[in-house]
Order: sequence, then structure tokens, then C-alpha cells
Amino acid sequence: MLQCIFLLSDSGEVMLEKQLTGHRVDRSICDWFWDHVISQGDSLKSQPVIASPTHYLFQVVREGITFLACTQVEMPPLMGIEFLCRVSDVLSDYLGGLNEDVIKDNFVIVYELLDEMIDNGFPLTTEPNILREMIAPPNIVSKVLSVVTGNSSNVSDTLPGATGSCIPWRAADPKYANNEVYVDLVEEMDAVINRDGVLVKCEVYGEVRVNSHLSGLPDLTLSFANPSILDDVRFHPCVRFRPWESHQILSFVPPDGEFKLMSYRVKKLKSTPIYVKPQLSSDAGKCRVNVLVGIRNDHGKTIDSITLQFQLPPCILSADLTSNTGTVNILGNKTCSWSIGRIPKDKTPSLSGTLVLESELERLHVFPTFRVGFKIMGVALSGLQIDKLDLKTAPSRLYKGFRALTRAGEFEVRS
Amino acid sequence: MAPPAQSQRSQSPSQPSGKSEVSDLKLQLRQLAGSRAPGVDDSKRELFKKVISYMTIGIDVSSLFGEMVMCSTTSDIVLKKMCYLYVGNYAKVNPDLALLTINFLQRDCHDQDPMIRGLALRSLCSLRVANLVEYLVGPLGSGLKDSNSYVRMVAVIGVLKLYHISASTCVDADFPSTLKHLMLNDSDTQVVANCLSSLQEIWSAEASTSEEASREREALISKPVIYYLLNRIKEFSEWAQCLVLELVTKYVPSESSEIFDIMNLLEDRLQHANGAVVLATVKVFLQLTLSMTDVHQQVYERIKAPLLTLVSSGSPEQSYAVLSHLHLLVMRAPYVFSSDYKHFYCQYNEPSYVKRLKLEMLTAVANESNTYEIVTELCEYAANVDIPIARESIRAVGKIALQQYDVNAIVDRLLQFLEMEKDYVTAEALVLVKDLLRKYPQWSHDCIAVVGNISSKNVQEPKAKAALIWMLGEYSQDMQDAPYILESLVENWDEEHSAEVRLHLLTAVMKCFFKRPPETQSALGAALAAGVADFHQDVHDRALFYYRILRYNVSVAERVVNPPKQAVSVFADTQSSEIKDRIFDEFNSLSVLYQKPSYMFTDKEHRGPLEFADELGNLSIGEAADNVVSSQRVEENDKDLLLTTAEKEETRAGHSQQASFGIDDLLGLGMPAVPNVPSPPQLKLNTKAALDPSTFQQKWRQLPIALSQELSLSPQAVAALTAPQALLRHMQSHSIHCIASGGQSPNFKFFFFAQKYEESSNYLVECIINTSSGKAQVKVKADDQSTSQAFSTLFESALSKFGTP
Repeated sequence: MLQCIFLLSDSGEVMLEKQLTGHRVDRSICDWFWDHVISQGDSLKSQPVIASPTHYLFQVVREGITFLACTQVEMPPLMGIEFLCRVSDVLSDYLGGLNEDVIKDNFVIVYELLDEMIDNGFPLTTEPNILREMIAPPNIVSKVLSVVTGNSSNVSDTLPGATGSCIPWRAADPKYANNEVYVDLVEEMDAVINRDGVLVKCEVYGEVRVNSHLSGLPDLTLSFANPSILDDVRFHPCVRFRPWESHQILSFVPPDGEFKLMSYRVKKLKSTPIYVKPQLSSDAGKCRVNVLVGIRNDHGKTIDSITLQFQLPPCILSADLTSNTGTVNILGNKTCSWSIGRIPKDKTPSLSGTLVLESELERLHVFPTFRVGFKIMGVALSGLQIDKLDLKTAPSRLYKGFRALTRAGEFEVRS
Repeated sequence: MAPPAQSQRSQSPSQPSGKSEVSDLKLQLRQLAGSRAPGVDDSKRELFKKVISYMTIGIDVSSLFGEMVMCSTTSDIVLKKMCYLYVGNYAKVNPDLALLTINFLQRDCHDQDPMIRGLALRSLCSLRVANLVEYLVGPLGSGLKDSNSYVRMVAVIGVLKLYHISASTCVDADFPSTLKHLMLNDSDTQVVANCLSSLQEIWSAEASTSEEASREREALISKPVIYYLLNRIKEFSEWAQCLVLELVTKYVPSESSEIFDIMNLLEDRLQHANGAVVLATVKVFLQLTLSMTDVHQQVYERIKAPLLTLVSSGSPEQSYAVLSHLHLLVMRAPYVFSSDYKHFYCQYNEPSYVKRLKLEMLTAVANESNTYEIVTELCEYAANVDIPIARESIRAVGKIALQQYDVNAIVDRLLQFLEMEKDYVTAEALVLVKDLLRKYPQWSHDCIAVVGNISSKNVQEPKAKAALIWMLGEYSQDMQDAPYILESLVENWDEEHSAEVRLHLLTAVMKCFFKRPPETQSALGAALAAGVADFHQDVHDRALFYYRILRYNVSVAERVVNPPKQAVSVFADTQSSEIKDRIFDEFNSLSVLYQKPSYMFTDKEHRGPLEFADELGNLSIGEAADNVVSSQRVEENDKDLLLTTAEKEETRAGHSQQASFGIDDLLGLGMPAVPNVPSPPQLKLNTKAALDPSTFQQKWRQLPIALSQELSLSPQAVAALTAPQALLRHMQSHSIHCIASGGQSPNFKFFFFAQKYEESSNYLVECIINTSSGKAQVKVKADDQSTSQAFSTLFESALSKFGTP
């Protein structure tokens, strides 16, 4: 089980230390870890699980903060990693973002949270809803309240009801004047297009996100028009398994607030919303680049925030690139970034220019991979459609809202 | 910013330097301690915050202990929490002052607010000061009976903490049986889960000394308990579910219908949002069906989709951990995943450790139907910016070629690599073409045409250069200018730094000489002269050997150097299947990520700090022995070339004697030759015992561990254990037979069995030996538990005689 958790800043400074068991872990392990990270180039390149001479270390890096956990015994690796991810999620939820200052300003809350999330090295409560009842988040409302009432404690007087209830994700009996429930389909399209323009791989990873503000114990059912297209699904613990098995219906009592109801994958899609056609030809120490971007299939929705990024090969001395739409920037680490935004009606966006190679090189042998970003509001590209959302014993006033959004995930075009 | 450890010494200007601030705080705290003025809590809170923040950045504020305790009388819960945190951190170094805190903590344990009761109890148990345990028993006892589940949950973990401070106090207060009662009856599942984890730890620790505890530990994995937990599994928190699932993997169902019941019950856990739960479930499924081949295959099919989704949906850290497990499964059953190969395509942004795993998996799943696409994909990576990955992917192409699918297309690709004019690509491709030719000599014509065009000046890496030279020698009859290239290489003999390349060069020139004598003669002369004058022993020896054998008889030399070759059918695998199985048994653990079974990397951790010192002593002896043996081997290999078998036997015997003398000298401590051999007890074993592996496996799974102990090996035994076979023969002479063995120095693993004389009662032994520490971990299982102690003594005495003449 985990013996100690450290929070390190992006310069390797220990911001927080939480010993969990009787076996104290000395801080010097952080020095070892930091040297290791530096020797690897940067923390993203080193493995999430490392064996140091004395301990096994789990590391998760979020927004420049390293969450480091140490253990000396064999344990399920995902338990360590998943827990650290949960810690970072909860902290950023509580503190409204993660950075060095916000953690240093609120370290007492961080200690309090860790105290409830893990005891003796074994994870306990990581449900944000429950934690919020035990330890009030440091928001403006509670600050105002404390000024008004003179009670400055951020700990609630009562123990959360849910620790005793058999629905661990839901606080007991919230009350709302307006009953609202919102369902969002958020999809990410992963695609690989090879240098011949063939779609090698194209799939969608999607999530159903629900934001629920419903009084009492609401029992919801959500059904899809075409559930058969889903390849593999994962559910929030609140989803009942049997109705899904037999009728592909999601039946659940939702947690209060925002949560991820389900995630799914849709494989083997046949087309992408946009095309990217890079052409590189090189001779005599120069390489001519020409990239075209356009809409392939019109979904009737506008495609927003189109971007294109690629890493210039290290053997390139200089680059002169211009575009007819949007802006082109070459960043310090030789990353070229072209932001197009929306595609104009009258012309096809194109990027062109020349790259100058190192003096000994005649032709280019290493070809860049173009990473594409885009966002389409109002459509789920997997084709998944919500049929209906029902609430057993519906309250008098209930507002239901649905939205969909697709954006590019790992969308790569090779040249 | 200074790294953490230095922050104590060299402070950056914005940070307080420590001393004066601490004494300042001390003064302020003292002023507040007795004050009852309104608003005092707020000023206390500011001060406490400052103290904690100093503590966090590593300034020693333990001198404030007394003042902090004085200020702790408050009703403000945040103040209390900060105070608990402070006290927990420094109580261990201030055991005397810690006594001061007992009073207020005990009082808080009776507070009206269950939250305060819980927090106080948690802090009380976290003090970890041995002479304060007497104050723990009372509050813990009432905590376990508390009406609020939060307090009970804290108290249960408190019992475990108490156990680690003072095991006897915990057992005397009869807490384990209270926990057992709570586990089976409490309404709150978190309390149940905490009881389970505490009991597992307590009883495992107690099991070595107490019969009852080991029975209790076995009872945890009995049918009633397992079923009770499984039926409530959906009520548990996700982490507690992992704990329960881990326990279930140890359960051995009595009949196959049970297996299906359990799997049906757990099936929806595969769709849980928490990856740890999914992996724990996968482990249950795999373990339960190990003995049922058909179902096991179906399980692979069933778990495939959830695992692949986990890989693509989680954060990079999570997907790496899942991918490592997937890697293990793919290596075991590649055919199951052969249609999912696209999931193993590398993304540009992925870190290289992920790409490397994926490349290995792509190699493994290649078969007739997908080879073409996989190889096409791999070839794209060869132009990758990440050079190590580009190399790795070329090697992958080569490995797939050696798996015999669609060789035709692959050879074309490899030859294209050779023309890519990137030196690392050329280098990797050359090595591959060499391996390919060793397996498929029929391709020599196509390959040689391309290889002949490569200028040896463009090849710098020793491995690639050696491969090129090997091909020049082997196919010199087909390559027009082979003798001249070799000649120019010989001319630059002194500039060649790698001994491997020079060795290959010698052999290649020899081969070339037999095929095209007139053109090569001068090069051969130059090479032999340079070789004999070489400072590297191996190169020198080989040159001398070639020279002498040529003088003796040229046709004999040709038979030796250039015999007709058989194509290699299978290249040796690097990781033994025994190790792979072992890793598989440890599914869902760190072993999978390190790709090593845990006994290869954790053994040091299980020992206390005290044993470390003598382990170090043994370590040096072990190393010395290893060195002696390995150098002896090298010499042997050299002599193999020259001596007849009879002579060889003699030198070998001489060497091993020398080796053991060497060790005796090294020790020079006057150690007794055989350290305290226990006299063999009255248990007779059947000398001709027989047991087939499947029965062994079955029994091993079913029987409980009767005995588990750690034995020390004599230095002689360590020295003699260079290969598993040595110990096998020795144990056989004591009627203890080996059923499976494996490992390499310093880690060996054996499974032994023995049978009682004229009875069919079996003893099974797992023995893990680490020669660098000189320790053997022995686990004994027996049909007849009552004689297991006698057998263990017999085993120990047999083991202790190992290595003595």
C-alpha cells in the first residue's frame, strides 16, 4: 500500500508531504526522483512507475504539478496511478484549477482532503460529492457566509449522510427549486491518415456527461436511438447493469452535480469531417511544402477552431511558411502551428513555403506528422443519438437539456 | 529554486531562514495559549497555518511542540485538524512531549460530534509512540462500538496501526476477533472493507508464529466469507472492490459451476469506470479459468474490449499501466488479438516507453492476414523523428520476417531501408538482413545485390559493421569486389576500435580466402599479422589459431572455418517461459510493469534493516564466486577449440577445484566447512517417488502452506550453484526430486517434491534461492500436515549439505 504522497512543483520543490504509514519515507527520495526526471529530459518522458533503489514510485503530472506516491510492497499499479489521478481531479475541482500558488495558498485544505481520501495507505473516499460535504470548498460563497455568520470553519458540522446510505455517490436529499438535468455527448475523433491519403484508423471515443440538479432520489432512464453502434462501454457506478444488458437502456440514480455517466468507443468509422493534404518535395538542399485543408463531408454544422501543428525535423535550418488564411507561427521548439479557425466559403486554406536543410543534406528523409485540431458543435460524429430521457415520478417543473460536441482527439496526418 | 533537501540549508530570500521566525512564533503562541479573548481562534489559525507551512517546506518546528499542545484547547475543527497534523508529524521524535497530547486527544474521542471523535481517534493512533500504547486500547475499544460508522471505520484502521506499534497489546485486547465480528456483521461496507484489509495484514503477520492465526487467514478465503463479500460487492466503494476482488483470486472453487456463478456475478465489474477495478476483475477471471482451457480462451475474448477501451480512454499514465498488462496477454495469446492490431499503432504524441510496448505487441500479433498492413505501418515509423523508435521499428520488421509470414514483401522493404541513406536505418537494416540470410539463404541473391552497393565507410556502428563483414565473407563468391573491400578494411585495422568487428574481419578474410584464394592472399596475410599483434586477447588467440591451422592443413582449416551451414530455424527467445508464467501469476501487480517476477526485484524490501548488514557481507562473497566461475568459463571456451575432450575434463576439474580454493582463501575467516547441520530426523522418503506435473500443479493450488521459512546457504553452496542442474542432482541423492526449475544467477527457483516411504503422502516445496544474498525462501506444502515439520528439517539438512564435498 502507499506509504507517502508528495506534491512537487515544476521546479522539483516539495510543496506538500503526507506520510501515510508508520514507515516514514524520507524526503531525499524526491531528490532522487528529480535527478531521475532531469536525466530523462523531462517528466513526461519518464515512466509513470519507476523503481528507485529504495521505493517504487508512482508519478502523475498535471499542470506542472507532480503527484508522487511511494511504496515498498507489491501492489496493483493501477490502484496507485488511478488514485493519484483522482487526487489531482479532486484538488483541481476544489481549488478551481491546479498550480503552484493555489496549492501553497490552500495547503490546509489539501491536507484535510488527503486525510479523508486515504488512511493507512489505502484509498477510502474519492467521490467529490461526499468530500464536498465533509470539507467545504474554499469558494466565494463560503467566504461570504463566513463573513456574515462569523463562523469561519470550512468544515461542515454534520457528517455526510451518504457515508451511511447505500448509494455512496449521492448525498441524501438535496432540494432544488428548479429541477434541471443536462445531458452532453462529448466525442473525440482519433484518426491516422497515412502518406498516401488512406484512412488507416478512425474511431471515436465519447463520453455522456450529465449535470443533474434534481430534488430527492430521482430515478432516470436514458435511451439511445442507435445503441448498437457502440463498441465498448464503461459506466459510472450508478448505472444499473441489467437494463443495459437486456435493452440497452441506461437506468440510474444520478449523483448530484456534474459527472461522467458513461464512456464508449465507436470503431471503424469511414470518413473524417475535414481533409488535410500535405505535399513535400525536396531536392538540392531545399524542401517545398504545400498543405491544403478543406471540408470533406458537410454535416451542416460549422467546423470551428481548426488548427494544424507539426514538428519541423531537426535537420532543418530555417523555414519560410505563409498561408492564405489564418496565422502561421513557428515556436521556439521548432513546432510550426497554423491556426485557421473557420474555413472561409470562397477559398481553400493552404500553407506553402520552403524549408532550408542542413548543408550536407541533399534531400529530406524524416517527414513530419501533422496534428489536426477542430471542434464541431451540435453533432456527435459517431452518429450516436439520444432517444429520450425519462424521470420516474417527475417533479412539477423539470427542465431537460441536450447538447453534442465533437472535437479532434489524436488526429494525425502523415506526410 | 533550490531542490527540497537543500531548502533547509540555503533558503531563497523569500523564504524564512528558520531560527528567528520559529522563536518568534513560539512567543506568539505562548501569548495566545491562555487567552480567551474573542477572535483568538482566528489569530491562532493564522499562527498554526504558518507553523504547518514551515513544516511543509522542511523547516524543523518541533521545538514548538509544547506551545502547540497548549493552544490545542479549542472547539474550532480546522484548528484541531492542523494541530493533529502537527502532532502526528513530530510525536515520534518527541515521545516525552507526546504524552502531553494524549489528554486532549482522549477528551476529543468522547466529543459529541462524530467527526471530531473520528479525527481524534485517527490522530491518537497515528502518534506511533511505543510507550503510549496503553492509552490507545480504551478509545479504540469504544471506537469499534461507536454508533457512527465514520468512527468505526477510523477505529478499525486504528487497530491495524496499533498492531504495528505493539502486536502483543493488540492481540491481548482481542481486537482481531472483534474486527472479524464487525467484518461479518457491520452494515457499513467501508467498515467491512477496512476490517478485511486490517485482518489480512494482522493474520498474515501472525501466521508464522500462531497456528490459530494461519487458520484464520485461510478462513478469509473460505466459501462463506467470499460469498458474503461477493454478494455485497456493489455496495463497496471502488477501492474496497479492488480489495475484495484481490481476495477472490486466492479462492479455489470446488466445482466448475461455482466458477461460472462468480464470473456471472462479476461480469459488470468489467465495465466499471475505475481501471483498477477492471484489472482486478480481469485477474479473477483469468485465475479462475486457468485449468479450463476452452473457457480461458473465451475469457480472453471477453476481457479484450474493456482493456482496449481502458487504453484509449484514460490518462497517459493509466493507459501505460493497462498497456503493460495487455502486453502480457498479447504475448501469451497473440492470436486472440490479431484482428485488433490497429489498436497497437503508435500515435505521434505518445511517450517512447508506450511506443516500445506497442511495437512489441505489433510484432507478436502479426500473422498471415495482417502482416502486410503491419509492416507498412512499421515502415512509416522508420522515418520517425524519434530515432530510438525508428530503430526499434526496423527491428520489429525483421522479427516479423523471421516469423515467416509474407517474407517476400518484407525483404523488399528491408532493402528499401538500406537505400534510405540514413546511417542508423542502414545500420539496423544490415543487422536484420544478416539474420534473415541465416534463416532464408534462398534470398541471398536479391540481398547481396543491394548490400554490395553499400560503402563500408558509411557504416560505423560495430554491430552493423560486423554484419556487413560477415556477409562479405559468407557471400564473397557473389560479390565482385568483396576481397578488395575486405583488403581496405584490413588496411585500416588500427582504426577499428571494436574487437567484435576485428574478430569478424579475421573470419571473413579466411572465408573469402577459401573461395577466391588468389585475390585474397595478401589481405589474409596482413590480417593474420595484424591479428597476432593485436592487444585484445580474443583477437590475438583467434588469429594465432587460424595461422596454426592453416599451417597444419589447409583443407582441415576450410572444414573448420567454412563448413556447409544449415539454415537457422528458430532464434532463441530471451525470456524463459517459466518467468513469463510467473509474471502472469502476478497479474495486476508491479511485476507486469517491470516485466520481471516480483522475487527478482522485491526480495530486499521484505527484510528488515537489521538483516541488511550481514546480507552485504554475503553479497561480496557471492560476487567473488561468480567472477571466478565466469572467468573460468571463458577460458574453457577458448580451450575447447584446441584440446581434446579428455584434456578438457581435466582442466575443468582442476579449475573448479581452484575456484573453490579461491573462495576459501577469500573468506579466510576460519568458517566451519559445514555450518551447524541439523541431524536428519526419523522420516524416510521414497527414493523412487514419482509425480506428474499436472498433479503437482493441482496439489500446489489446493494445499495450504504448511511451513514457510528463510534459510541461509553456505558460501560453498552459493559457489556450487552456477546452474539449477547442480542442485537438482544433489537433492535427488536425498530423495527429493525436482519437478521444475529455472532462473539465472543470482535468482533461481525450484519446485521439489518428495514422497513418504511406503506411503503415498506427498510433500511439495517451492524454493527460491538468491545467490547474491545467500538466502533461500522455502515454502512447504504437505498432504499430511503433521509431518511437514519433520520433512522441512530433512529438506533443510539436505540443502545445507549442498556444495560440500
